Amino acid sequence: MEINESQINASTVLTLTGRLDGLASPVLDQKVDSLLAAGIRSIVFDCSGLAYASSAGLRSFLAAAKKLKSAGGRASFATLTPAVHKVFELSGFLTVLAIYPTAASAANG
Amino acid sequence: MSTHQLTFAEEIVLLGLDDRTGALLPMPVMGFNYALAGAVIADLALAGRIDTDLQQLTVIRPDATGDALLDRALVTFVTSPQPKPVAHWLGVLSGQRAEIEDEALARLTARGILRREDKKIFWVFGLRRYPTVDNQERTEVKTRLSGLILGDELPDARDAILISLLTGCHLAQHIFSGPVYEARSARLATLACMDQVGREVGSAIEALTRALMSVNLMHM
Repeated sequence: MEINESQINASTVLTLTGRLDGLASPVLDQKVDSLLAAGIRSIVFDCSGLAYASSAGLRSFLAAAKKLKSAGGRASFATLTPAVHKVFELSGFLTVLAIYPTAASAANG
Repeated sequence: MSTHQLTFAEEIVLLGLDDRTGALLPMPVMGFNYALAGAVIADLALAGRIDTDLQQLTVIRPDATGDALLDRALVTFVTSPQPKPVAHWLGVLSGQRAEIEDEALARLTARGILRREDKKIFWVFGLRRYPTVDNQERTEVKTRLSGLILGDELPDARDAILISLLTGCHLAQHIFSGPVYEARSARLATLACMDQVGREVGSAIEALTRALMSVNLMHM
């Protein structure tokens, strides 16, 4: 999975491309931890290029959201592909996480 | 000792026992079997050995964890000729309930949390119970999960999995009972669906319950 970092206003946007599975999720965890350590408090996960998210991937998303909230920040999730939207729906993530149609709306939300 | 040092199988066994009598709390047929099976799969997932999705369970690291119980299951997954759905492995491991339960009970007893008590009923029938020696572990996990249900915090992965497993096998309704929790049933339902293995435990039990009910109706 590729992780591309960009900025929209005060939010760091992580654009994810490929598959977020048990091999890729530790990489995402480390990325989130390094951003938190650098003082970043708003992260938008742009999922427009994410073809797949496994249970490990969902745990990474949940952990990121929890860490950011605990640090007084926020995580938001944008442009869910149909496959990711489906697993988010089954896992109740659509209810408990901040979901937006685009990265821009997530950054401004 | 932190509850996080216990495996999910140990936590399910601990929470599945009545803390006064040491007897198993009521669960649907095969409920405990599936819950323990799910617990083993969940522990391997958090240990980074396997991953799951809606189609299958995949081994991502075949190396042993050092936990004999988990490693026996891991070998089963590794040596499978092709990946299989989570539901398949729940069925396989549910047949190993006795081994999983006995191992978890032995560990909880060795930690001084439970003690083994053998009684005779009518001087003939053997009855084994596991009354609690140290209730701190159980209290700690109940308090933590209760806080999650009654509050609005995001759970960590471990707690999400545990609530999902407990709900799937219907233990949650015994552990978290009363009007305070009934008012938070929607929250519990949201937490319970956060983990796929826990959801599949619930689905397996529901499917079996429906099948048994239809058999009963046929014989009426």
